[in-house]
Amino acid sequence: MIGQTLPMLDAEERVTGRISYALNVELPGMLVGKILRSPVPHARVVHVDGTQAERLPGVGAVLTRGDFGSQTGYRGKYGRIFRDQSVVAFDKVRFVGDPVAAVAAVNEDVAEEALSLIDVDYEELPAVFDEAAALKPGAPLVHDPRPEQQPIFSKLIQDLPSGSNMCSHFKLRRGDVEDGFRQADFVFEDVFHSPPAQHVPLEPHVTVAQFFHSKLTLWTSTQMPHAVRAQMAELFNLPLARVRVIVETLGGGFGSKGSLRLEPITAFLALKANRPVKIVLSREEEFVTVCKHPATIRIKTGVMKDGTLMAREVAANFNTGAYSDIGPVVARNGGSAMSGPYKIPHVHIDSCAVWTNVVPAGALRGFGVPQAAWAYETQMDRIAEDLRLDPVEFRRKNLLRDDDLFATGEKVADMHYDELLERATAAVNWSRNDARWLNQNGAPARQSKSRRGKGLALVIKATITPSTSVAALKLNEDGSLNVLTSSVELGQGAKTVLAQIAAQAMQSPLAHVSVSNPDTDLTPYDQQTSSSRTTYSMGGAIGKAAADLKRQLSEYAAELLEVSVADLLLEEGRVTVRGSPSRSLTYGEIALRSNQGNLIGRGAFSTHGGLDLETGQGIGSVHWHQGAIGCEVEVDVETGKIKVLQLAPVVFAGRVVNPRLCELQLEGCAVFGFGQALFEEMTYGDHGQLVNPNLGDYNIPSFEDIPWKLNPIALEHDGTEDLHGVGETLLPPVMAAIGNAVYNAVGVRIHDLPLTAEKVLRELPRVSA
Amino acid sequence: MKQIIKLKINGAEEDKAVHTHHTLLDVLRAEYKLFGAREGCGIGMCGACTVLIDGKPTSSCILLAALAEGREIVTIEGLSEPGKLHPIQQAFIDHNAFQCSYCTPGFILSTKTLLAENPSPTVEQIRHYLAGNLCRCGSYYKIQDAVLDAAARLRGEMAGTASETS
Repeated sequence: MIGQTLPMLDAEERVTGRISYALNVELPGMLVGKILRSPVPHARVVHVDGTQAERLPGVGAVLTRGDFGSQTGYRGKYGRIFRDQSVVAFDKVRFVGDPVAAVAAVNEDVAEEALSLIDVDYEELPAVFDEAAALKPGAPLVHDPRPEQQPIFSKLIQDLPSGSNMCSHFKLRRGDVEDGFRQADFVFEDVFHSPPAQHVPLEPHVTVAQFFHSKLTLWTSTQMPHAVRAQMAELFNLPLARVRVIVETLGGGFGSKGSLRLEPITAFLALKANRPVKIVLSREEEFVTVCKHPATIRIKTGVMKDGTLMAREVAANFNTGAYSDIGPVVARNGGSAMSGPYKIPHVHIDSCAVWTNVVPAGALRGFGVPQAAWAYETQMDRIAEDLRLDPVEFRRKNLLRDDDLFATGEKVADMHYDELLERATAAVNWSRNDARWLNQNGAPARQSKSRRGKGLALVIKATITPSTSVAALKLNEDGSLNVLTSSVELGQGAKTVLAQIAAQAMQSPLAHVSVSNPDTDLTPYDQQTSSSRTTYSMGGAIGKAAADLKRQLSEYAAELLEVSVADLLLEEGRVTVRGSPSRSLTYGEIALRSNQGNLIGRGAFSTHGGLDLETGQGIGSVHWHQGAIGCEVEVDVETGKIKVLQLAPVVFAGRVVNPRLCELQLEGCAVFGFGQALFEEMTYGDHGQLVNPNLGDYNIPSFEDIPWKLNPIALEHDGTEDLHGVGETLLPPVMAAIGNAVYNAVGVRIHDLPLTAEKVLRELPRVSA
Repeated sequence: MKQIIKLKINGAEEDKAVHTHHTLLDVLRAEYKLFGAREGCGIGMCGACTVLIDGKPTSSCILLAALAEGREIVTIEGLSEPGKLHPIQQAFIDHNAFQCSYCTPGFILSTKTLLAENPSPTVEQIRHYLAGNLCRCGSYYKIQDAVLDAAARLRGEMAGTASETS
């Protein structure tokens, strides 16, 4: 079953529109919740009065800061790493869109009217939007005093003194970078920028909350049911057992549905109204809820004449917006990846998350590595060009290979970069003569106004380490199997892939396997559905649970058949005595005859590691995700328009469980990165207000935009049973691959994403002059 | 304010009292509990709320319900009978032409009209026709394969029907 292409097991529900999202959840007596948001980027909240709104017929509850504090027993402060967010604004608002109050009413119309009756006075404060400006002395402070850090993150993120907008500071120190620069023949220094971008899952965030009999139940579109449960239990002063989080399939997540979003507001409205409440965000609200970190990355690289990399120094600032969310870990993950898949003896990295008065940034597919790879892979191309080297050979010369040391000091294994590079360059027919310095005019295209170019980029990415997943396999008395897991189905096909893994491990037919939705009352712990970890980690947990279940089956069968366990064989849903095929019991018979009701196997899969806070040395990832992308573009020299003819994403996938679902992940990464490369950018006005928070002004790739050709390749190796996640690896290198191809075509090197026609056109005369 | 209108949805016509400012999508979801059409953008850009009105793919999120009076409305729920999928749906399954599938009903309904208008579309024509349906998961290449395959199946079916009747 592993290695077999199967359509998703719930495919029929998906093509008939019957599959259930949180959006479809309706409860008796349910109210509609709406949020009042700040119109200003930074202000003291002088006065909030909801009494008028409360009097409106049909209003069930109005939630303001008055509902929190010592008199109510609810602190109302939360945050994954720093408790810097409040359920609704307390003393200040910190960005345009910050929730100030909320209402629950019988329908949308009444809720909207109630919002308009809430009276709020603001006293505006100076605001700061840009990560560089926010770090200057005297910049307005977004949080003052510094918010309290969650103790659980103290080993991951260093706390800093108050009085600055610097939220976190990741440091990596390896070798002696100054010495490295002294030894180098050349030193290159560049600054790269990535803009804010939005995840745009087509299903918006949705939460339904109900608070009855001292128990909070949430149906919510989250990738992290257990993290939501833990934080909601803290907010409600409840034991974990009295918070239940149920997750239906998601209409896309891409990292946006990670931290607490609508859950606190919806749940407190439900508590206050004493009725279930549902909030569905509008698309416009989605844009002010979470985004990709804008980042400015200064990267300085020392290199020998022959192309040997000697040293790299990086100063990266990730703009985490008004609230830190998971930003410090994003900055850390992007920071620790800045040396790329290359051997560099001297590395010095500072990667900071910075508070500003814009939309909070959080996890987005790639988790800091898209910003990092945009910087280092664009610079790699520039270095090759300036040194008159073949960019492929230059990379090959410096690749990480087995037993080399990564910048974190860990020894790498199972490296496949030679093959990845080979496959990506072959896909676009790269030859040594394709380097721009050898081929100044770019390859002529069909139309003389256009020039063709090729480019490539590589990536190395961590998967969250340490991490833990737990699975339970419940064997029923007919031999069928319930896989109890808290992995979230967000379109990646988790339920199908996990069913395949369970069926294979138990030697059971797929038709006898059913994979649960997450329900924290019923399904065991899982850290999160993110970081390309589900197939590997939850797959690993299922493997262990299957081993536990098979051990139990063998022990009961040995008793029933009066033989020793060693004499038994488990295959195809039966336990058989070796050498006497007639003496056998089905799994179901064992479950029944052992008088156990049913048998439950349990497996926990954990990985171990971590990086030193002062040096960034240690184990960054249990294994490293590896990818390469080849690209071919055509650039119109009269308009600057870039047409991507081909993307050739190649990933090391270990053992592929379901080839078509794997391909979909690779294609999804490529298309997602393509949008960020060419046009996706959230744009702010002078007053910190987002000017394009809708799908008319913020474009995502459509059928007419996408590359004509996209041929994903998943490298598998015979004999290996190791699973590697593939959900994110190929997004980060897309932007640099396209940018490098644009340079190759017309000689224009753009440092600020996205690669718009305007930017190309502006630079073209300088190049041709 | 409510108005009583005749709505014909998936072949069944009934009088329905609808708010004059409510969209067809609001009514499909709230009154009929038809959840296959979904709001994605609210401004007619993404196609997740697509339904067929007199055979044409239409964004139900920007059409007032009252304006759909008397017209033939088909939602994804009306495309197939229990146990018998439409060939386009089957082709989408066979190619796994979706990930989160939030956009899938819209793509399938738009494809139905595309193939009715043009039984043998080229890849360019498919991409042009379906450009109003967005798939954020990036399943476009599999959707393209599914549409080509569905076209072939429908042509085959039509040819089959023709030879039976002749």
